[in-house]
Amino acid sequence: MNANDREKHFLGKVKDLLNEGVENLDSQTRLRLEHVRIRALRSAAEKRSRFFTPQRWIMVGGFATATMAAMVLFFWLHTSPGVLPAKHFEDFEIITSKEYIDFYQNLDFYRWLATNEDYPAQGKTS
Amino acid sequence: MELTLNSKDTLSRFLADVERRAFKMAKFASRNTDEALDLVQETMFEFVRRYSARPEGEWKVLFYRILQSRMTDWHRRTTVRKRFLAWLGRGDGEEDQEDPLQNFADPASPNPYDQTVRREDMKALEKAVRTLPLRQQQAFLLRAWEGMAVAQAAFAMGCSEGSIKTHYSRAVHALRGLLEDIRS
Repeated sequence: MNANDREKHFLGKVKDLLNEGVENLDSQTRLRLEHVRIRALRSAAEKRSRFFTPQRWIMVGGFATATMAAMVLFFWLHTSPGVLPAKHFEDFEIITSKEYIDFYQNLDFYRWLATNEDYPAQGKTS
Repeated sequence: MELTLNSKDTLSRFLADVERRAFKMAKFASRNTDEALDLVQETMFEFVRRYSARPEGEWKVLFYRILQSRMTDWHRRTTVRKRFLAWLGRGDGEEDQEDPLQNFADPASPNPYDQTVRREDMKALEKAVRTLPLRQQQAFLLRAWEGMAVAQAAFAMGCSEGSIKTHYSRAVHALRGLLEDIRS
């Protein structure tokens, strides 16, 4: 028997003894191990199915309904009675127009300017 | 993602297959039945939680990876605690006491002498394995007992293949020196 065979033989015997030690475990330890295994498997099953429970769906649905109701109530109470800032159709056109907003903001100035421009012209004629 | 009845059975069979060897490994490391059971429990829970959806072929290595990691953590914690207790002048005294009834041969057995010799061999082996440093112990048990390849053992222990070879070789050398009697 060479060194390699001797080592194989030694390791084979060690493995046999270790297996024997496992087979000879006392019944109490075996029972406790089985109990641990069952609990571990149950915990995995519970964890996976926890999301899909009817209670969870009821809770999520209830929360969504309550949120929706709160939003509807909020908008219903806080919405103004339909009075637009622009009372006349012409004002509405002014407000919605972006291009001439500066012009309309300075409308008084342009009116004043137009009024004053008339005087020199009158002065020239006179 | 839900565990089907079939996959649950497969998982249960796998755990039933490894649980006793895992317990013995944990007991070699901790030398205490309750601590070993706790280590196996933590390993099983984490394995089922994290890896039960992985392919069955990967389970063994992943299971032992968790167990080795737990045992290493436990060893670190215990070493610190022992140092602290030693500093306070107290021993921890948590090792299991041997059952005296186990030393008696069963007279009903067909060959009580052989049974006694086997039992003595087993005790000598377990004692020798316990004397190994933790990493050598782990490498030896994974390679020689679980039959893992070097790469698998390296993954399970979270170290290089070179380290596994070194630990395993040292462990075999030490055990052969300690177990002269059972070599024959």
